[in-house]
Amino acid sequence: MSWSRHGDQDCLRLHGLASASRVEVRPASAATGTAPAMAGRLVRDGERGYFVPRFPFMAGTRYTVTVDGATVADLLRPVAPHPPAVEVAAIYPSAPVVPRNLLRCYVWFTAPMSEGCAASQLRLVDESGGAMAGALLSTEDELWDAERRRLTVLLDPARIKRGLLTHRQVGYPLRTGEPFRLVVEAGFRDSRGAPLRRGAQRRYEVGGDERRLVDPAGWSIAAPRGGTREPLRVAFDRPLDHGLLLRCLRVLDPAGRPVGGTVRVGAGERDWWLAPRRPWAAGPHRLGVDPVLEDVAGNSVTRVFDRDLTRPGLQTGTAAPIELPFQPAAS
Amino acid sequence: MADYGLRPGRVRLASAGPIAFGPAGILFLADNVAAKVYAADVADPGPHSPSTPFDLEDVDVRVGSLLGCDAGDIAIRDIAVHPDSHNVYLSVQRGRGDDGRAVLVRIDHADATITDVPLDGVPVAEVAIADAPAEDDERLDTTLPLREDEGEVYTFGERSIRLLRRPIRTSTITDLAYVDGALLVAGLSNEEFSSKLRRIPFPFPAGGAGIVANNLEIFHVSHGKWETAAPIRTFVPYQGGRSVLASYTCTPVVHFPLTDLQPGTKTVGRTVAELGAVNQPLDMVAFEQDGQEHLLVANTAHGLVKIACRDIDAQAPLTEPTEPVGVPRKTEDLQGVTRLANLNSGYVLALQTEAGRTHLRSLKTAAL
Repeated sequence: MSWSRHGDQDCLRLHGLASASRVEVRPASAATGTAPAMAGRLVRDGERGYFVPRFPFMAGTRYTVTVDGATVADLLRPVAPHPPAVEVAAIYPSAPVVPRNLLRCYVWFTAPMSEGCAASQLRLVDESGGAMAGALLSTEDELWDAERRRLTVLLDPARIKRGLLTHRQVGYPLRTGEPFRLVVEAGFRDSRGAPLRRGAQRRYEVGGDERRLVDPAGWSIAAPRGGTREPLRVAFDRPLDHGLLLRCLRVLDPAGRPVGGTVRVGAGERDWWLAPRRPWAAGPHRLGVDPVLEDVAGNSVTRVFDRDLTRPGLQTGTAAPIELPFQPAAS
Repeated sequence: MADYGLRPGRVRLASAGPIAFGPAGILFLADNVAAKVYAADVADPGPHSPSTPFDLEDVDVRVGSLLGCDAGDIAIRDIAVHPDSHNVYLSVQRGRGDDGRAVLVRIDHADATITDVPLDGVPVAEVAIADAPAEDDERLDTTLPLREDEGEVYTFGERSIRLLRRPIRTSTITDLAYVDGALLVAGLSNEEFSSKLRRIPFPFPAGGAGIVANNLEIFHVSHGKWETAAPIRTFVPYQGGRSVLASYTCTPVVHFPLTDLQPGTKTVGRTVAELGAVNQPLDMVAFEQDGQEHLLVANTAHGLVKIACRDIDAQAPLTEPTEPVGVPRKTEDLQGVTRLANLNSGYVLALQTEAGRTHLRSLKTAAL
């Protein structure tokens, strides 16, 4: 009995099989009960047989093989060694201070990762290293990008939203004036199952609450010189959400065509740069803002995170795209 | 099946997500990695089953054995019951990372035989659920943290950065249900915090047309004071699809009428209950007891919560945040239930984990 190959598939090779014998394979952890046998087919070649599973054998799993009900072998599927090769590439927000009602963080990895690790390998800790239990939203669905390189981490919104039972009884996940760290443990697994080369963390100070609409009217635009490829810089009045900044802003030229180029989000997510692929045209340009754009506390152009219905004032904004005019300066 | 726009094809599941039965025994399968929902004819072998209970101990060990792995290497993401045969379908993720794969598993109601359901060469239709990208998305490069062998090097001031064009926004489907010619899909964005409920016509429209226009925004109000939008985590249609009870990521249980909802308009649902602090509703089903419709809610922290639909209709919007809050409810002392499905007229099927073991249990509706 040994691991082998049949065609282009992994299989188990058996010797000395009687012609009508029944071969069954089960994970050893299921072998003692009444669990069904592993799906697959037995290919016979005289007294030899090849068990070809419908689902690949899993590295690190022990399998029990029975012939006519009697156990004949117990084999461990070997684990191919994968040395740690992946690291955390970035953690956002990148600003050193976040509001008490911080809603969202992003963790970027240098290669695709495995699901199922976030609950055990990612946490918030206080200054003394103590875990801040219940600070993060526990969800069965980890929020990854399609390539499994960026993980979205939500602080528990039930603790942030005013009026809810959890908020009233347990309070905010963060406390103003009490720094904390977002810690990614090295045990986080990459897509091949290897741990990280090293863990990572980012420390934050905690400020007051941020409950204002994102208001593009309060931004400043440093117009580039016409005829150059100088970057356009848009400075915000507060840090905005890194993920949304990558897709919620665009620039239209005087003819209304999008300006192509390279976007960079500045330090602390306080500004946004566009270096055009071609020199700036002369004439009026527009910066288009998708109103779903949020700050780090989940306030958007359209609405604040939790709107106080008893308070008058500007808590809802436009749901229509916003356009801010600017004009490249004469060279 | 041609009546529903299904054609022979293949369900290429990249990940196991929520599942739900629709008309004519068609199963809807959500794939969160591919950002699609499939409608597939699973060729259920029948036969029609009487209203008998169904229980299976250590379902994770058994399913893992069929799939050749330990119970710890599978995740049962959802359960659904075929409306005629009452066979049980499980949406199963086997393994993780590069070795991970999604499998649809069927458990025969009559003899508990477990098989994997072939999804190649079956009648199928699919619809993309990702929002349409802006037409100029590809015009902009973005600076992302990349590894050394990908993208182009771009020098910006004193810094060199690698660039790659790649959509990184995704929408994770958290629940879905079929109601009267439409599939309702709740999802959680990995970026903005919004409360979109997608209403996708079925049969699926060609090319996905009409889906974006059918996004419904359902806000809710906490204690008469705080109005918020939040992702819907689980929901259940009732009253023949006229009403929906939904639970949000931030935990309140909210009622809204489905028939009145118009695409592109903001709807404010009525918060009818909070089921306790630091507690998240996980799944809901509607069932009948003594001719009255009731809802059963599985939670992370409490037992199963039973609510009468007529009490929901009578419940005024919550204004006082004191516990217990909202609509009258009865709590069954049954812990560890993570998924619920209607088994038949007499029973609700529950996926329950207790002391590290996972079982399928039938709950007699008359005794709830």
